[in-house]
Amino acid sequence: MKSRTGKRRYTVIGVLLTAVMLFPVYWMLNVSLTPQQDMRKSPPDLLPLHPTFEGYRAVLNDQLPYLGTSLLIGLGTVALTLVLAAPAGFALAKLRPLGGGTLGLALLVAQMIPGIVMAMGFYGIFLDYGLLNSWWGLIVADSTIAVPFGVMIFTAFMSGIPGELISAARIDGAGTWRTFVSVVLPVSRNAIVTVSLFSFLWAWSDFVFANTLDGGGDLRPITLGIYKYIGNNNQEWNAIMATAVVASIPAAVLLVLAQRYVAAGVTAGAVKD
Amino acid sequence: MRNPRRTLLAAMATAGALTAVAACGGGSDSSASGSGSGKSGGTYNFWDPYPQFDASSAWGKLVGKCGTDAGVKVKRTSMDTTDLGNKALLAAQQGNAPDVMLVDNPVVSTLVEAGILNKTSDLGLDTSSIQKNILGAGVIDNASYGVPIGANTLALYYNKKILTAAHVDPASVKDWASLTAALKKVKSAGKKGITFSAINTEEGSFQFLPWFWGAGGDLTKLNSAKGVAALSLWKQWVDGGYAPKDVLQNTQTTSWQEFATGEYAFSENGTWQLGNADKAGFPYGVISIPGQNGGSAPVPTGGEFVTVPVQKDSSRYDVSKKIVTCLTNSANLLTTDTTLTYVAPTAAVQAQQVAKNPELKPWVGAVAAARGRTSDGLGTKYPTISQPMWTAVQNALSGGKSPQAALDAAQTAAGKG
Amino acid sequence: MTIARVDRRSQRSPARSGATGTGHRTSASDLRRRQRRRSRLTALAFIAPLIVYLAAFYLYPLYRNLDLSLRDYTVRSFVQGNAPFSGLDNFRTVLDDPTFGPAMRHTVIFTFASIAFQYAAGLALAVFFNRRFRLAGTLRALFLIPWLLPLIVSASTWSWMFNSESGVINYALHLVGVSPVDWLNSPDWALTSVVIANIWIGIPFNLVILYSGLQNIPAELYEAASLDGAGAWQQFRRITFPLLRPVSAITLLLGLVYTLKVFDLIWIMTKGGPGDASSTLATWSYQLGFGTLLPKFGPGAAVGNILILIALVFGLLYIRVQRRQEA
Repeated sequence: MKSRTGKRRYTVIGVLLTAVMLFPVYWMLNVSLTPQQDMRKSPPDLLPLHPTFEGYRAVLNDQLPYLGTSLLIGLGTVALTLVLAAPAGFALAKLRPLGGGTLGLALLVAQMIPGIVMAMGFYGIFLDYGLLNSWWGLIVADSTIAVPFGVMIFTAFMSGIPGELISAARIDGAGTWRTFVSVVLPVSRNAIVTVSLFSFLWAWSDFVFANTLDGGGDLRPITLGIYKYIGNNNQEWNAIMATAVVASIPAAVLLVLAQRYVAAGVTAGAVKD
Repeated sequence: MRNPRRTLLAAMATAGALTAVAACGGGSDSSASGSGSGKSGGTYNFWDPYPQFDASSAWGKLVGKCGTDAGVKVKRTSMDTTDLGNKALLAAQQGNAPDVMLVDNPVVSTLVEAGILNKTSDLGLDTSSIQKNILGAGVIDNASYGVPIGANTLALYYNKKILTAAHVDPASVKDWASLTAALKKVKSAGKKGITFSAINTEEGSFQFLPWFWGAGGDLTKLNSAKGVAALSLWKQWVDGGYAPKDVLQNTQTTSWQEFATGEYAFSENGTWQLGNADKAGFPYGVISIPGQNGGSAPVPTGGEFVTVPVQKDSSRYDVSKKIVTCLTNSANLLTTDTTLTYVAPTAAVQAQQVAKNPELKPWVGAVAAARGRTSDGLGTKYPTISQPMWTAVQNALSGGKSPQAALDAAQTAAGKG
Repeated sequence: MTIARVDRRSQRSPARSGATGTGHRTSASDLRRRQRRRSRLTALAFIAPLIVYLAAFYLYPLYRNLDLSLRDYTVRSFVQGNAPFSGLDNFRTVLDDPTFGPAMRHTVIFTFASIAFQYAAGLALAVFFNRRFRLAGTLRALFLIPWLLPLIVSASTWSWMFNSESGVINYALHLVGVSPVDWLNSPDWALTSVVIANIWIGIPFNLVILYSGLQNIPAELYEAASLDGAGAWQQFRRITFPLLRPVSAITLLLGLVYTLKVFDLIWIMTKGGPGDASSTLATWSYQLGFGTLLPKFGPGAAVGNILILIALVFGLLYIRVQRRQEA
């Protein structure tokens, strides 16, 4: 009896904390429903008293292709990141290659480079290889945000996989690649989901790469689509916020579905070490 | 245990394959450099700072039509105006500059300095019918580098209802003293005074210039007594509560949104807000910005220029020239400038505009009296002055420095270039 | 089968078996050597794509940035090339600039304040959500929403909330009788405002990583502790916090590296203003290169490199601490 009311107390506190944390998101929703002339009203309306749906109408008319592109780029980034990061993480965790320590440092340094520096560097490379203004080029660029971190996560997780599991596979005659695919990957499901989550979210909200490298493409992500409402002398804030609200929905759904996997044992190896 | 050498080879092959697929996949015309010869049937790249106009808008269709009239397909990319200059430099570095580009006028001098724009005379473009002071923003070292698509400038919008209620006659606002007095009356009547933009970008400088020039200030000497007077005027308003503190974050759009709430008596804003003014929901009027001791303050010209960047293949210029001529012929100028609510750059089209919309008359006069920011031989010195200037405005209005100290620091920074 | 293969190999290469005495011992050490080389090649094969990727996509931008900072680039030479080598001139210009001191100071404050609060909040929330009450999973997922909003939206929303005239935060303060604060306009508050917004954005990252770290602490330890009569705070101090140390270390380090890079948020909220009251090295670097009408690429790149150097120092520190712990 006591534990049930105790637990309910936690739920209430949890809801309150979440409400405080998400207040700015609520405010975003509020602004998305505010008509232009009330934008700078002082004091502001806490509730959208004169809601207008012109922002959402604009979004549904204009932004769906951008949302689709963002989804495509996000999923592509996830795939590319996993393909690059998982084998490397496995190698650093279990295979002990020469220069593994240096590689670890390199991965850290890779994450220290400011985005605009990367984008400017990529411009020339992308232009020369025909990757400019394309969605697949953007996948390659967005993966650079996620891959080093992904390798670190995989390394940490896979070092926690018991050595017996791998030796058992070896004794059965499996090669390293077979071991990796059939034994290590299935066990690393949580790490895979975590890395996928991070890479998807980072690709979804990227702006610097999209702006520099896909500014003129036919398929552009939602972070650029928003700029449609930011003209040189005019900004339609209700449309901008409406775009953000609509853009958050698919990502939020994915989050709720994936959080179960992210929970358990992502950094398993770190504690054991 | 499989052969590790084979595994290694397989891995390298995968890496190579990924890169190859990416490169091959991009083989189709996804790179931004134009294709085709200078003759008919190629693709020409066109950049402008109007992302609010998509392909189905009047402007988008006009651009496309000018292309097809010249026998080519136009690929139009619009982006934020502050980005455009930087992207142009980056693109030009890689030999990827667009064929025709609209840029905000103070950026022209930077692009000319970088050597990426063609002279209009080299292209054979006729700029004789364009008003000199409007053309002037794109003139560097006596050569013109672009054709203006239209011009705009600043004035004071006022809310008739508030002024009547506060017993202020707009005709009485003739100089700074009378303006401040009017603001005082409005405040004691319970409303808010004036809103403008003092943000730390070129917009902030743009809005500060009428006051700076209205005091007789000279951009090469920011910390003269005249400059300090102008900055002190703004500071006095903010400190006295006649202007809101958030002018430091306001863009010209958010400043307009404040005015549109109906709480403010005055707003310093531009020609392009005329369309919004009609939607404001209260009767409004327009007066020119007063000079310190009377008369109209000199105001800066705004507006974009159509430019033709340098290309490796000079046979492309023929078509680019046709596109530019098409965009800037009288009929198209009238349509475009009506959409953008800019003042046309030629007297003939201006007359047509005023005939259609008499409200534009004072604006036409204002533009005629306006000055280019990069004119008077300033050229690329202007950006090195403008940035310290907006920083000084920010420092003074936020209370970080006194107006004199702020402008002294600005003059030192501008001197260093 | 393996042994048979080894024997065949040792028969094929009699020269090897010479120096070390009996044939049997030779083939064993041979086998070890070959296995080691085989496994090393395999390991190399697994990380080869990553190495190629790192070299192509990180080395090149780094090199270009270094080049930009070591040469005297004007807009003309940026476009056309042939910029003269200028050594450390750009760095000297940057260090002499009056903005350098404030930018450095603000970077330190911004970074450490952000990380401290993000970490503390993330940890507290992780521990809280670890209690498995109803809706814990859903609420925890909802906490990640700030992270998936495009930065222009989050930053703009916070700007609006902080607006001194029509912002909801000043309105709330007004309701409890506190006079309005010039969050974004005053040199005293501008930095605080961007720190607050940055903390909000950074909490989800800390929450996710720390929460997963918590999952690895065996529940039995807590059960044993509560049987011994330890309270919640003691359990935290004695069990949770120490066992979480490696995860905390990596979270803090990554938090530091990511926060040093933060520029979008500050740029959208204040552009480093008013004046340079909220300028950090990251925003200053951008402003020099892209925030004016006449870009100064050299100094901009120099500031960028200084930023990377600072991050590198902390990275090396982390590795040294980690190595000492493992030893």
